[in-house]
Amino acid sequence: MLRLAFPLVSHLPPWKPPPIRPRPLPARRYAASATATISSSTTSSPPSPPSLPPLSPSSAYVHLPFCRKRCHYCDFPIVAIGSSSGTAPSRVEVADDPRIVDYVRLLLREVAVTRPVSDDGVPLETVFFGGGTPSLVPPLLVAAVLDALRGRFGLSACPEVSIEMDPGTFDAAKLRELVGVGVNRVSLGVQAFQENLLRSCGRAHGVEEVHEAVGIVTACEGLQNWSMDLISSLPNQTEEMWEESLRCTVDARPTHVSVYDLQIEQGTKFGQIHIHLFCAPHIHVLVQFGYTPGVFPLPSDTESANFYKIASKRLSEAGYNHYEISSYSKPGYGCKHNLTYWQNRPFYAFGLGSASYINGVRYSRPRRMKEYAEWVQKLEDGTWSHESRSSDMKDMAMDVVMLSLRTAWGLDLQSFSKSFGKSMALSLCNTFKPFVESGLIIAMDMERQALPHMDFGLDLQNEGDLGSKVAFIRLSDPDGFLLSNELISLAFGVISP
Amino acid sequence: MATATASRLAVLAPRPLAPSAGRRRHAPAPGGAPSRPRALSAAPRGRVLCLAAPASAAASTTDAGQDRLQKVPISNIRNFCIIAHIDHGKSTLADKLLELTGTVQKREMKEQFLDNMDLERERGITIKLQAARMRYVVNKEPYCLNLIDTPGHVDFSYEVSRSLAACEGALLVVDASQGVEAQTLANVYLALENNLEIIPVLNKIDLPGAEPDRVAQEIEEIIGLDCSDAIRCSAKEGIGITEILDALVTKIPPPKDTSKDPLRALIFDSYYDPYRGVIAYFRVIDGSIKKGDKICFMANGKEYVADEIGVLSPNQMQVDELYAGEVGYLSASIRSVADARVGDTITHYSKKAAAALPGYSEATPMVFCGLFPIDADQFEELREALEKLQLNDAALKFEPESSSAMGFGFRCGFLGLLHMEIVQERLEREYNLNLIITAPSVVYRVNCADGETVECSNPSLLPEPGKRRSIEEPYVKIEMLTPKDYIGPIMELAQDRRGEFKEMIFITESRAKIIYELPLAEMVGDFFDQLKSRSKGYASMEYSLVGYRESQLVKLDIQINAEPVEALSTIVHRDKAYSVGRALTQKLKELIPRQMFKVPIQACIGTKVIASEALSAIRKDVLSKCYGGDITRKKKLLKKQAEGKKRMKAIGRVDVPQEAFMAVLKLEKEVL
Repeated sequence: MLRLAFPLVSHLPPWKPPPIRPRPLPARRYAASATATISSSTTSSPPSPPSLPPLSPSSAYVHLPFCRKRCHYCDFPIVAIGSSSGTAPSRVEVADDPRIVDYVRLLLREVAVTRPVSDDGVPLETVFFGGGTPSLVPPLLVAAVLDALRGRFGLSACPEVSIEMDPGTFDAAKLRELVGVGVNRVSLGVQAFQENLLRSCGRAHGVEEVHEAVGIVTACEGLQNWSMDLISSLPNQTEEMWEESLRCTVDARPTHVSVYDLQIEQGTKFGQIHIHLFCAPHIHVLVQFGYTPGVFPLPSDTESANFYKIASKRLSEAGYNHYEISSYSKPGYGCKHNLTYWQNRPFYAFGLGSASYINGVRYSRPRRMKEYAEWVQKLEDGTWSHESRSSDMKDMAMDVVMLSLRTAWGLDLQSFSKSFGKSMALSLCNTFKPFVESGLIIAMDMERQALPHMDFGLDLQNEGDLGSKVAFIRLSDPDGFLLSNELISLAFGVISP
Repeated sequence: MATATASRLAVLAPRPLAPSAGRRRHAPAPGGAPSRPRALSAAPRGRVLCLAAPASAAASTTDAGQDRLQKVPISNIRNFCIIAHIDHGKSTLADKLLELTGTVQKREMKEQFLDNMDLERERGITIKLQAARMRYVVNKEPYCLNLIDTPGHVDFSYEVSRSLAACEGALLVVDASQGVEAQTLANVYLALENNLEIIPVLNKIDLPGAEPDRVAQEIEEIIGLDCSDAIRCSAKEGIGITEILDALVTKIPPPKDTSKDPLRALIFDSYYDPYRGVIAYFRVIDGSIKKGDKICFMANGKEYVADEIGVLSPNQMQVDELYAGEVGYLSASIRSVADARVGDTITHYSKKAAAALPGYSEATPMVFCGLFPIDADQFEELREALEKLQLNDAALKFEPESSSAMGFGFRCGFLGLLHMEIVQERLEREYNLNLIITAPSVVYRVNCADGETVECSNPSLLPEPGKRRSIEEPYVKIEMLTPKDYIGPIMELAQDRRGEFKEMIFITESRAKIIYELPLAEMVGDFFDQLKSRSKGYASMEYSLVGYRESQLVKLDIQINAEPVEALSTIVHRDKAYSVGRALTQKLKELIPRQMFKVPIQACIGTKVIASEALSAIRKDVLSKCYGGDITRKKKLLKKQAEGKKRMKAIGRVDVPQEAFMAVLKLEKEVL
């Protein structure tokens, strides 16, 4: 039973993730076809940080892009397959949708042609089926992908295998099947508990399906670990509605909660489009589609910041750790797969538009099906080679900062200083000093205990042993997290002046 | 009126810019003379190599233009200019005169031949002047008509006075559908002062709204000119042009024959030609000048050899000799227009005239502003561009200035607002510079406690309050002509601008002349625009400096998060400080992006806060979604954000975008 094998890691902060360290520069070519050529720029690389043995990825992301329809806020690479009946979505109708079958074939080809980074047999610890709506994909096909991954890279004894599921796209049997083939973590895309909100953001399900889905997930034998995904700051969302959603979430007792703040993306239905019509020399008509952040019907900045704070408060009260800007978990149930991202560790990725990070190179696959298919073909033919965008020290430092500061563990100053130089670490700290004083940033000691801000100043004065007392800095919860972009972009300014 | 004009010139007495250590390369040559900005490449010049024919020779040559080079007896020379308000048709009339006399063939006629610069064409104004020699035959008697074009704008009134001094007569062109305007009036008075014969011309009689009788009456009433035989014409339609040419011949007196006297030639214009050096346009008042003569400029005593002399017809045509009464040009490898200043007298080195011609005056900048390149890398380019413009424009002054908010730039001095605008526009247009232009300011005189008087055109350099006893500011007398319907709004405007009412005269039943005295600082903003908009475009104005007066002036400082922002400091009247302070702080609050902390924005006089706004802290700036591990987009956004911060100017801990400065400076122009 996978359930029993699942590692119940200890409580935060005692549960220490490995330190976030910069990835060494690509030492070898992208692990793809055997004939791919080595890019010349990989050999003449800038001084690399203290070299660590190149880590072999132990995570894999698999993109399953199919959705019934595109949600109004979504700009992911997806394929909308519609619902044939137009009534309640059937759970079987898509099973033999040729588009899904064809796509999974393509996926399997990509997996087959992707070479493991190292031969020492580091197996996969996490697999994440994201989408899209992966729950639309028949479990057999999911199993086929898992089998392929296992065959190619190996699966550890107790891997975390997550799948994103949307209410209304699965029944108990389907979930059981998925669990049966090895899925042990579900990320349930609930988003809201209000009918009108779900409708206005174009979700393909209603509140009834939400409750039904929660019932199926909680009742599913062999599934202990599941996440409830919510979106805050939806159009017309009020504080009461948000409180209600959080209450329902806590009541459903998921092990994990993801709270995403609505991002208005260009090109989405919510995205902003202005059309200026010149009717006459002096008559301008401004036609505006879509929403502007902070402007009705979207909650104002103040309301939306408040939603964030409420979530942090309510979920903490209910025993969840706010371990990353938008992630909460019951002790020991942090998403191991996502931690790979935050810890700047390598990962494989497969499928349309997915992004991998292998040998220090981040690569995003084509977002269009046709181009993706052609890309897979080239990969097989050995005619594709990754143009090595040699990420320099600055870029690596930025990655480390932006990823680690998203987490509650924060940035490891000593390791940062070792990798990128003491002077950069110092100027970063100097830039952050006023924010340590104002409480947006928290200095922590080796044990990740918060330190009074004076200690931070003292440590800074004493340049010689930066990090002697202050070992980590993190953004405070919720105020620092809420201004993460500002703070991180400040750090970027320090890294790349 | 003559006295008013005289006093204007008197107040324009030479006054060097505030001393500055950083002026090494830009110190104007002693007494830089005003000259108009001029296009670097002038109109194509004819190089007709031809010995001047004897004065008695008949007009028989067939070569185009050759006949115009032929000498006529001095009694057959007529030197004249055209006085007109903008849009009253001066350039069109000039074109028609050139065309009818065959000076310019119809096919080579560009519309408004005399306006060479794009800017002039676009604005319909003449910034610089040119001259044209025409040949006109009446009763088989050839006459030589020299048209000396004048710049129309008050900024260049000195130049106007010098070109008027080169003439014996003037055509007063008035739009028959509009009437006399303030600027026209000022220039007519200047012409009368120079004893010019004035021929009134009522233009645009073809327009349906033309009322030549009323306008003729207006001219008689306002100026006191006999309009009984005013010429009615339509330059556009070619009506009345011959009458004008005949009137020039019959009414304007010929120049005095003083060709035996020592040489005195009046420079009425000069421009810089990148290949030949300065080209000076002059009128020979006494004596004669030959090619190859060793000449001397009397104001600065510099000597040159006249390498080339010629006439303008309207292209340059070389001749060997020019006599008293004639108009021409010379080139003598002069390196900057400052050495051949308008108003200066040319004489012979070996046979110097006893005295220079009267009326010479130096350029005195009246209006100042800071010019900063938006892109700091363009600083050197800006310096080069200003240096190039200065070769051609002795009135343009500049010195380096640096500001914490805007970096390195120049503080520039101009004759007036139009001059300022023209220079700014040429820098942007011809030199491709993107500039931030600070609010224009005037030169204040600060009487210090120690008895010293300091001139200050830069608010940030104003002596400390404790060190100053009083501040004086320049005042102007402003004359506005307006249809009576707009008297109210115009008086309100003048009153708003701290104007002191002097006089109102109904010049006709329906039009009034309103005279105010007000601080120049109140005029450098949008006064003219306001005047136009409040009178639906009908009012016109003219101003002249009347001197310095003590005022209750204070320095208004802006503080962002308790940090003073030097670039936004202004000098304002005490009574206006509150409203200006409020407007500025409000605008800044609008334009400064919210920061991670609350930012107070204050306007202060000394340590006293007179207006205050608070920019609340950002509530939220977070990217939450993790795109399946694709951090590249997030990173891109954050990098962009970091870049955005870099483009801003840090005022203490606050990042202020350049646009905020620009908008506030623009606002200062409006509210001050």
